[in-house]
Amino acid sequence: MGVYIGGVAAVSIQEPLSEEGIFRPVAYSSPQVRCIEPEFRKFLEPMVARRMSKIVKRAIVASSVALEEAGIPMPDAIVSGTGLGCVEDTEKFLDAMVRNGEHCLQPTFFIQSTHNTISSQIAIRLGCHGYNNTHVHRGISFESALQETMLLFGKGSIHSALVGGYDELTPPYFRLLGRIGYWREEVKNSLHIVQEPAAGTFAGEGSVAFALSENAQGAWAQIEGVSISYACPDFTREAGLFLHRLGLNWKDVDVVMTGKNGDLENDRVYRNLSLPAGQTTAVYKPLCGEFFTAPAYGMYAAAVCLKQGMLPASLAEDGKEIKGIRRILLLNHWQEKDYSFILLSSCGD
Amino acid sequence: MEELIVKLKNEIIDVLNLEGMAPEDIADDAPLFGEGLGLDSIDALELIVLMEKNYGIKLKDPNEGKAIFRSVKTMADYIEKNRKF
Amino acid sequence: MENVVISGMGIISALGCGVEQTLRALREERSGIGPLKYLQTEHWDIPCAEVPFSDEELRERLGLSAEEVVTRTALLGMVALQEAWQTADLRHTPDKRLAFINGTTVGGMEKSEQYYLDFLENDSRNAYIAAHECGACTEKIADFMGGFSYVTTLSTACSSAANAIILGENLIRAGLTDIAVVGGSECITKFHLNGFHTLMILDDAPCRPFDATRAGLNLGEGAAYVVLEKESSARKRGIQPLCRLAGYGNACDAFHQTASSEEGTGAVLAMREALKTSGLQPSDIDYINAHGTGTRNNDASEGRAIMQVFGKHTPRVSSTKAMTGHTTSASGSVEAVIAVLAIRYGFIPANLRFGEAMPELSFTPVPHTLENVKVRNVLSNSFGFGGNNSSLIFSAVDPGA
Repeated sequence: MGVYIGGVAAVSIQEPLSEEGIFRPVAYSSPQVRCIEPEFRKFLEPMVARRMSKIVKRAIVASSVALEEAGIPMPDAIVSGTGLGCVEDTEKFLDAMVRNGEHCLQPTFFIQSTHNTISSQIAIRLGCHGYNNTHVHRGISFESALQETMLLFGKGSIHSALVGGYDELTPPYFRLLGRIGYWREEVKNSLHIVQEPAAGTFAGEGSVAFALSENAQGAWAQIEGVSISYACPDFTREAGLFLHRLGLNWKDVDVVMTGKNGDLENDRVYRNLSLPAGQTTAVYKPLCGEFFTAPAYGMYAAAVCLKQGMLPASLAEDGKEIKGIRRILLLNHWQEKDYSFILLSSCGD
Repeated sequence: MEELIVKLKNEIIDVLNLEGMAPEDIADDAPLFGEGLGLDSIDALELIVLMEKNYGIKLKDPNEGKAIFRSVKTMADYIEKNRKF
Repeated sequence: MENVVISGMGIISALGCGVEQTLRALREERSGIGPLKYLQTEHWDIPCAEVPFSDEELRERLGLSAEEVVTRTALLGMVALQEAWQTADLRHTPDKRLAFINGTTVGGMEKSEQYYLDFLENDSRNAYIAAHECGACTEKIADFMGGFSYVTTLSTACSSAANAIILGENLIRAGLTDIAVVGGSECITKFHLNGFHTLMILDDAPCRPFDATRAGLNLGEGAAYVVLEKESSARKRGIQPLCRLAGYGNACDAFHQTASSEEGTGAVLAMREALKTSGLQPSDIDYINAHGTGTRNNDASEGRAIMQVFGKHTPRVSSTKAMTGHTTSASGSVEAVIAVLAIRYGFIPANLRFGEAMPELSFTPVPHTLENVKVRNVLSNSFGFGGNNSSLIFSAVDPGA
């Protein structure tokens, strides 16, 4: 039984809840770009939304759109990935505590500070009592969550799931990460960030939700496999083994979509991959910016490609559109310690 | 008292983030919890913080809040009698 | 289906360092709850269950220099991982794939709250910026021993470590790893002490779980890991399994961000699921190590849920949080170690300070350590904020098998 993406929705730095940003992405000229917000009022009653931070609102909107599209009113499991969790509320509580002392602190900010707020708020909203978990492992938080979900499908304990990658980045946290070399001082055109490599990249944000089921009908793509690996000594070999375990090899892969972000050190790892000659490659981080769960946006972009059967110029690393795409391998690494592999294929006709 | 009630309503709207609500939308004696404004246990905790921060009143037990937070009127009465500043 | 067993374990908590000290403290009914010694806070008068070692002492024990960039959560994790590693004899496993799954919520917050203004204003503490992340904490712990090819972090508040155990068993069953070292690590921070304080659920005296007069929880800290592998794998390595992981359940209460539903819907589902996966009947359970935080809400909700699942014949119940404090993200594995000890040594740990029965419950907890009890199956509950409820069942293994 395969696992299929029945619905997907993204709130990102591109137009929210729309594929428009994949084909005609907006270019930015700033090292920090925040999400373009959807109209929250259309989805959330003010009384319910009043205590929710942005990341929770975005996650709820993205997840409800994805579930609705897939026709899954109640998923069997909700598994989320978030690298940093609810930063905005964590900072509000921390800032007040450090600056004003340990009194008169507001409980709401503490309650919403925990990483599992997102998964649990989605569950509360749906009244979903199923399996619920949150993965918080740096740049592979989303893939880790997705892999666990695939295990649950594999052993037959679930037949549908909501999986997502959710991260927000506040201006103070952006500055902190800037101090340790994450970002460029200047960005001329975010869409050209990979073609103009330098030290650092630009920061994005995003909430990307996928409704998964065993129903191939009308699905965006099939998830053939997901794997994470720690400190793997040979990225290319590991990717080959991943394909091998799925009964495939490199020639079965139409597009390799990498986590290149224009940062010299980050991208060196991908440049050092020994891919087959003439392998088509694609990149998505120029569209969504770098954040801990950016690979969720990558999987969204790949799913859009497979649904359309083409790789648009906006994603192709050489800028050339290609038709007839049937299988995409997503590769990502985080600081050469955490590695991830996702294989998607088209559901065919 | 009238002044305190209006001030209090504004503070409640602000701290509980009751977007789009104006002081005149909250009747002085309308229940804040349950049927009325529909506030919950976390709001009660926020109101306890509000009382301490803005009026110097410390409540030790959240249960004490139940009677005090029945309505804006009961809250204002309690503040009037117990405020430190 | 082949058994997944526990082949080693390590622990550090307010009860001391290591399995031996923990066992002794449990049997002697010694509580680790008391005045704060290490955490610098305005709330010095709130009792907590601190690990009785300073950061410097922990560094020394681990052979780490003062310059090493490491947070207390990671230090605690390293101590527990080292012991788990040794007891399961993981030195000689080059042909095995090893996974490390850590549960934490605090991560590096303990340093972030100290260095927050430096972070914002100067470069003096830059090394600790990335150490804030939960995942960074996990990697620091993993790298201390090395050899892991799968590393991830879970955060579901107070059930994080229990969910790490569940994920570990799923990975082994799916053949994605041979051995999984799983559990959680969490230190006390000002951030979380104040957080729980704003919720008005901290008792200003040592806690009394399942007591009619209970007035809240005491925060604790610690780390614990258990080593999971298939029984055949352990025996082939010459390791006598300590017990087996017989069942588990994960469900969501889906009721409220911090409170449990009155009837404990999520708790009932998690316990029933654990029973189902274990193939055991409620009557097979000899002991329930309850979540039992000592808050008004948890103990009432969990107690009702236990009544619903077990009916009139409730097994013996105790909350060991009256000794360890609430070690939040680590509690699932701290209590897993306690469950294993109860099975191995045949005793039921005490629910300290119990005096008055809760009128709404049909059972009362075990007030004092019961020795010489045959304990074959233990149910361990871990319930987190946001309704993240998980239950685990540990069972004795036949020594001769």
